Amino acid sequence: MTDLLPLAVSFDAFTDVGFWFGVLVTAGIYTLVALGLQLNVGYTGIVNFGQAGFMAVGGYTMAILVLEAGFSFWLALPLAILATMAFGVLIGLPSLRLRADYFAIVTLAMAEVVRLTAQNAQGLTGGNKGLYCNFEGVNQTCFDEAWKSVAGPILDFVEGFWPEVDPLFPLLLVIWVTIGVAIVGLNYIQRTPWGRVLRAIREDEDAASALGKNTLLYKLQSLAISAMLGALSGFFLALFLTTIQPDDYEPIVTFYAFGVLVLGGLASYGGVAVGAILLWTLLEGMRFVELPITEERTAALRFALVGLVLILLMAFRPQGLFGKKEEMVLGR
Amino acid sequence: MAAEAGNGRALLAVDGVVKRFGGIQAVDGARFDVAAESVTALIGPNGAGKTTLFNLVTGFERPDRGSVRFDGEEIARQPAYAIARRGMVRTFQLTRALAAMPVLDNMMLAAPDQPGERLSNVLLRPGAVRAREREVREQADELLEVFGLREKSGDYAGTLSGGQRKLLELARALMARPRMLLLDEPMAGINPTLGRRLLDHIQRLRSEEGMTFLFVEHDMEVVMNHSDRVVVMAEGRVIAAGEPHEVRADQAVVDAYLGSAA
Repeated sequence: MTDLLPLAVSFDAFTDVGFWFGVLVTAGIYTLVALGLQLNVGYTGIVNFGQAGFMAVGGYTMAILVLEAGFSFWLALPLAILATMAFGVLIGLPSLRLRADYFAIVTLAMAEVVRLTAQNAQGLTGGNKGLYCNFEGVNQTCFDEAWKSVAGPILDFVEGFWPEVDPLFPLLLVIWVTIGVAIVGLNYIQRTPWGRVLRAIREDEDAASALGKNTLLYKLQSLAISAMLGALSGFFLALFLTTIQPDDYEPIVTFYAFGVLVLGGLASYGGVAVGAILLWTLLEGMRFVELPITEERTAALRFALVGLVLILLMAFRPQGLFGKKEEMVLGR
Repeated sequence: MAAEAGNGRALLAVDGVVKRFGGIQAVDGARFDVAAESVTALIGPNGAGKTTLFNLVTGFERPDRGSVRFDGEEIARQPAYAIARRGMVRTFQLTRALAAMPVLDNMMLAAPDQPGERLSNVLLRPGAVRAREREVREQADELLEVFGLREKSGDYAGTLSGGQRKLLELARALMARPRMLLLDEPMAGINPTLGRRLLDHIQRLRSEEGMTFLFVEHDMEVVMNHSDRVVVMAEGRVIAAGEPHEVRADQAVVDAYLGSAA
């Protein structure tokens, strides 16, 4: 902006509606990813590092069903959710018997196996090019056609009274309605005797078994629900990027979601949503800070800043924004 | 004072149970019975294999060999939760209070037959779940009253003192409505007045509800005065079993464990 100031911050971005649409869609997707982690880590005490793998299984299954098997998009969604949940159970069945740290490693490896398989099974997944549209003669089919046929009219309707609305509006709406339903649902089941057994497993699995609870069964259910949320976020990511590529499901996605979890606080579903919005406002907002350094360095600095925020949080509010301090201190 | 012995039928029968950890023979062919409606003490020097035996009987470890029968049925290779559901519930030597859960939740968790522990019932039969919760809550309040923990009901279990946790764990085990209760050093860390109340409660449960008890204890005064039968272990084997006065007079027991204390 000016040569006199070494550091100039433009806040224009924060008044730009498009900026917020981008942030809220990304934050929404990460909220769904992290809600699954909250159920696993915050309420069941199982450390799942494989959420990106479940997103990939959900997204790829949906796209393959639509593009290769010719299923309708609306049928492909529930089928892909079921497939992802079954996959979660399959992964959990042998590995949830292991100690928590081994389970974490297994899930991380699982996610990488999924990604590398997607990268190499080119006939099915398109390899690194990923999946979007199929061309058969003159006809072109894309996995998000059915979605566009719904999103279009929504956008037209909203444009009637909000002319310069962002094209992301329909996706934003559906994502956050899904989050709302998920948070209400998760909070409900968490307050039931079922949720009480999960918390008991988090506290002490042996004590729960000694009281007659089949802990493996509950951990599997927790993982399956988390896989379902992963599949949902996988769909939304695919619709947002309009493509499904292996690179979008690297382990870093899961780690961002853990960042969201730490920010929002353990054992709070609402906190996850707030944490996700904060993290992505911070990450995206930093793009607009102008510094007398190269762009690559600014990009790297964004992550340094996020790291600093997390460190400060650990120092001054270790339970996160909405976590319960007592549960954190007593749990250990 | 030791009340009349149990009705004679063996509720728990341990036979030839062996457990090795690497080169160490933790339990080496242990054999004993626990009569239904009896209070049986399991004693022996440190390292005798008492806690391992508890783990083997309750499904927390699998025996290499041998049989464990509960109420006539073989349970030696069943998982811990299944054995607990059959009605044999244990406590732990180091208390396992669910620290970041309120005392009341600790108690209500243990109640059996809660349809709400299945997700399908939570969604489809919320009425039945709520009704059972009300029943369970009443039982929990009553038991907390008995154990002097009523005022702590809403506190996190992790804020309780060591002795209170011990009481909570026992009360919680009782919430499961077991037919047989295995207590691993129930008196350790509890003040004598509370300990007496606990023992009275055990005697009452035995005589009124026909509950059976097996407990590990090092306090000989408690063992000799409050149990019908005593099983003595040393080096992974049962070296003696009988009524307290018989065991006290047994030379092998005196040599291995009691020494000059008896």
